[in-house]
Amino acid sequence: MFLQAVEDPQSFQAEHINRLFNQFNIAAACILLLVVFLVIYVTTKYRRRHGDDSEGAPIEGNRRVEILMIGFPTVLLAWFFYKTLAVSSAVMPPVNPSRQPDIIITGHQFWWEVSYPRNAGTPNPANSPNYVITANEVHLPVGRPLLMELRSADVIHDWWVPQLGNKMDLVPGNKNYLWLNIRRPGDYIGACSEFCGQQHAWMRIHVVAQEPADFARWLDSNARNANPPADALARAGETLFQTRTCAGCHRIRGTPADGAAGPDLTHVGNRSTILTGLLTTNEENLASWIDHPQEIKQGSYMPTFMFSKDSIKAIAHYLEQLK
Amino acid sequence: MTQSENKTMMQTVVFTEAFFFLCLIMSYIYLAYSTGFEPHDLSKLDIGTSGIYTALLIISSFTLHLAERGYDRGNTRALKAWLIITLILGAIFLIGQGREYAHLIQEKITLESSVFGASFFTLTGFHGLHVFIGLIILSIMLVLAFLGDFKRKSSSALGAIAIYWHFVDIVWVVVFTVVYVLPQFTNI
Amino acid sequence: MGTTIKIPEPSAPFPGLGVENAQGLLQWISAVDHKIIGVMYLLTSVVFLVLGGVLALLMRVQLAIPMNHFLHPEVFNQFFTMHGTTMIFFVAMPAIFGFAVYFIPLMIGANEMAFPRLNAFGFWLTFFGGLLLYFSFVAGGAPDAGWFNYAPLNERNYSYNHGIDYFAIGLLVSGIGSVATSINIIVTVLHYRVPGMALNKLPLFVWMIFVNSFLLLAAFPALNAALAELLLDRELNAHFFNTAGGGSALLWQHLFWIFGHPEVYIVILPAFAIYSEVFQVFSRKPIFGYAFVAASSVAIALLSFGVWAHHMFAVGLGDTVNSFFGASSMLIAIPTGVKIFNWIATMWGGKIHFSVAMLFAISFLIEFTIGGLTGVAFAMFPIDWQLTDTYYVVAHMHYVFIGGVISGMLAGLFYWFPKITGKYLDEKAGKWFFWLFVIGFNGTFLIQHVLGMIGMPRRVYTYPNLPWYGVLNFTSTFFAFVMGISILLLVFIMRRAMRHGTPAGPDPWNAYTLEWATRTSPPPLKNFEDLPAVTSRRAWWDMKQQAVNPHPQTKNDDPI
Repeated sequence: MFLQAVEDPQSFQAEHINRLFNQFNIAAACILLLVVFLVIYVTTKYRRRHGDDSEGAPIEGNRRVEILMIGFPTVLLAWFFYKTLAVSSAVMPPVNPSRQPDIIITGHQFWWEVSYPRNAGTPNPANSPNYVITANEVHLPVGRPLLMELRSADVIHDWWVPQLGNKMDLVPGNKNYLWLNIRRPGDYIGACSEFCGQQHAWMRIHVVAQEPADFARWLDSNARNANPPADALARAGETLFQTRTCAGCHRIRGTPADGAAGPDLTHVGNRSTILTGLLTTNEENLASWIDHPQEIKQGSYMPTFMFSKDSIKAIAHYLEQLK
Repeated sequence: MTQSENKTMMQTVVFTEAFFFLCLIMSYIYLAYSTGFEPHDLSKLDIGTSGIYTALLIISSFTLHLAERGYDRGNTRALKAWLIITLILGAIFLIGQGREYAHLIQEKITLESSVFGASFFTLTGFHGLHVFIGLIILSIMLVLAFLGDFKRKSSSALGAIAIYWHFVDIVWVVVFTVVYVLPQFTNI
Repeated sequence: MGTTIKIPEPSAPFPGLGVENAQGLLQWISAVDHKIIGVMYLLTSVVFLVLGGVLALLMRVQLAIPMNHFLHPEVFNQFFTMHGTTMIFFVAMPAIFGFAVYFIPLMIGANEMAFPRLNAFGFWLTFFGGLLLYFSFVAGGAPDAGWFNYAPLNERNYSYNHGIDYFAIGLLVSGIGSVATSINIIVTVLHYRVPGMALNKLPLFVWMIFVNSFLLLAAFPALNAALAELLLDRELNAHFFNTAGGGSALLWQHLFWIFGHPEVYIVILPAFAIYSEVFQVFSRKPIFGYAFVAASSVAIALLSFGVWAHHMFAVGLGDTVNSFFGASSMLIAIPTGVKIFNWIATMWGGKIHFSVAMLFAISFLIEFTIGGLTGVAFAMFPIDWQLTDTYYVVAHMHYVFIGGVISGMLAGLFYWFPKITGKYLDEKAGKWFFWLFVIGFNGTFLIQHVLGMIGMPRRVYTYPNLPWYGVLNFTSTFFAFVMGISILLLVFIMRRAMRHGTPAGPDPWNAYTLEWATRTSPPPLKNFEDLPAVTSRRAWWDMKQQAVNPHPQTKNDDPI
């Protein structure tokens, strides 16, 4: 089936919506076929024969038929409304205010800030400040209901991964919630679905769903501080990173760099893509990005630095080994 | 032009403007309940003084009605006299608004100071603009009356303009209630 | 009181463009005659249709292949904003007003609109509003936050060039024009009907546009309030919508959609109005269920104010709100369904003439059913939660806008062109246009439903090379060009008809309503000398049946 995405539900939520959608499509197809049939029938049977300039039958109306035509759709719609309410409460049950979210996504122009409250899943208030923070690549455990909290740092964004179910806006000044109960491990892709500015098209979503054990391992490794630089070039890159204002926007835990305006880079080498889905993560792409960001993703807030080619190579090398 | 055409036209104008003010009032109330207004800002509203100016504006509706009655009876002196008084009352209302604005600005409450400031000045400002436009139209009527028009009662202009003026009054009563009176009774 | 300059009346229905005498350009710019103003509205609509269409084609070129670099992202975003704004405010609305101010006086037996100068004022405001909007292209950039222009993206700190200011002011200006014309229409219909034409004997075209005018008067103020508050935010640092200052991004959405949803009914009701006339004349039968069609228009107008938050299902308004608006949105499908049924039933038992106008009406029935059904899917809000803001919405809206509104305007064009110009549009060439247009339109947008279902969001200037995205987008682009070529063909057909078309008499379709009762096509400057009192809903048909002398003694009450 090439109709992946909406027709390929991989979560409890997506399954429910998909079922409702398919039921509706059947009813809608029947109605459309009825209309098409009627139109073809009427225009064929009552077409004017050549030379016939007479008037048509003097029918002005038929009250009984009208009532039927109002009554039948009303009944059908009432039925679908009932199903709508049922699916809605299955997919978006109320959120207990004391329940801590499993993951908090904050939308930025044009990247996703991802944080995991450390004691996620346990019914403890979020007093523990131990968040694991990363960016853009979202890892989630399968097999249990997850509460996702959605916030925005600037304009309205929207989280949508079609295989995982419904979308939800990220509205500045508000907190929104989504429930996710993913069936199977795998890679799921989605995209920001509320126009958020110049690079809205490149605010893509990459969800990596994992078995709980794998996820726990991933979470722990991400909680660690950054690897120290492994060779001389990486050391040079680190020095440049810390002294040439990169640290003002980006965070690398375990180093003095603690900026929050741009994505967290502590383990950037582990992510499969950079620039929210635009380029594969490798040294060459990282170097291109640092060299001429506005040509690659114009409108993003990455300034164009005047680094020498050697400096860029060093920084890219350093970042790539931050696994 | 038949009489009732101008009246119908003015009624549709009132219809659409009513929705406009409804939207501004809705914005005011929405912001009052979502972000919330600073009690400090609200406390600077002077309900007493504004109440007096409100009363004067309401009286101006009566005086305009008296002007209409004068016109209906062919009494151009009454028409002119009551028109002048209506104009004066309307102008006093606007001056009163201006003084309220000045007082608030002195207290550092402006369009840009807070959500209350933005909402208050926009809602009352658009109303004041409509009063001002009404005063211009009434002045034109007055000038025409002095130039000799309106001796016979075949014009629907005054009746139509009266609908507008009464509407502007009613809008103010609603705005006054929402902005000045409601905070006294609820925690807006 | 000094000298009065008298501008002579137009001596021709289509004045020239010269400046050497008083019968050229001066007639156009000083016109207060409802027929000339109607023509100007229609010409404005065609010009902006071409502009908006070119924007669309350029976007489709950019989207034809993945990761394309044909258009810069900022340019693409300006284009989709301008495309939407143009099509709704400067194509659909001027077309509607053009037909309305031209034909309402004629259909009610009047010789003018109630306020001729207000009529001109309304037109010129619409025209200049459009110019102001397009001026933004050369003044630092067009608006680029979408035609719906959400906050806080529309605030100064996120959109610092002046495009959005031109958007706001241009729409405020043209909006005042629209309100003025609607007021004019209401007063005209209430006060200028020929004796005997009670409100329940109005031709459906007149009734539906009359109801529509009230809808417009109630809906535009919400847009005006939103735009005024936005300008205050942007220019004077107020805090209505910028969350950083305590404002509410959602307030913008509420105000905008309280306007925006009624607006789509404002553009579709007049199309329904045109179809109601076309179905009758080309089936040779009166409309089936007049009362139901008339009443369902009122129902739609009222209900349209109760559905706006269905554009906000994914915003997080909560269960109660979602349920209410889901229910109301499903409910509003019913009066529309009633109409579709009534139009099909109008053809039942008739003698169907397949003129080009009728072809558009018939294709509308199917295309609008598709658009309407996908709309009901959205009302079932968990489905909306998957499909909103994707190409599924783009497909839905174009099915109702093009299959509904534009097809209606095209049906009206082919139906009324002989009356307006006195020339027939070539029906044979018109059929080529129809098929090219319908194939192009369906080819472009049917597959976009699929694109939405496989995850493509809307308002994106490019997309990654995911399975089927490239093929489907390329096909859509191909058919978009077919549609574009069809519009070129239309312009050519119109031009050829104006120059060498077969002359048409006053009543080429043997129709039912009073616009066809004028002595000539185009109508003379003074539409009617005298008309008999009206006794049924098909006044001109009755006059023909009784072989009534159109110049009897009873006078129309009109002072002009």
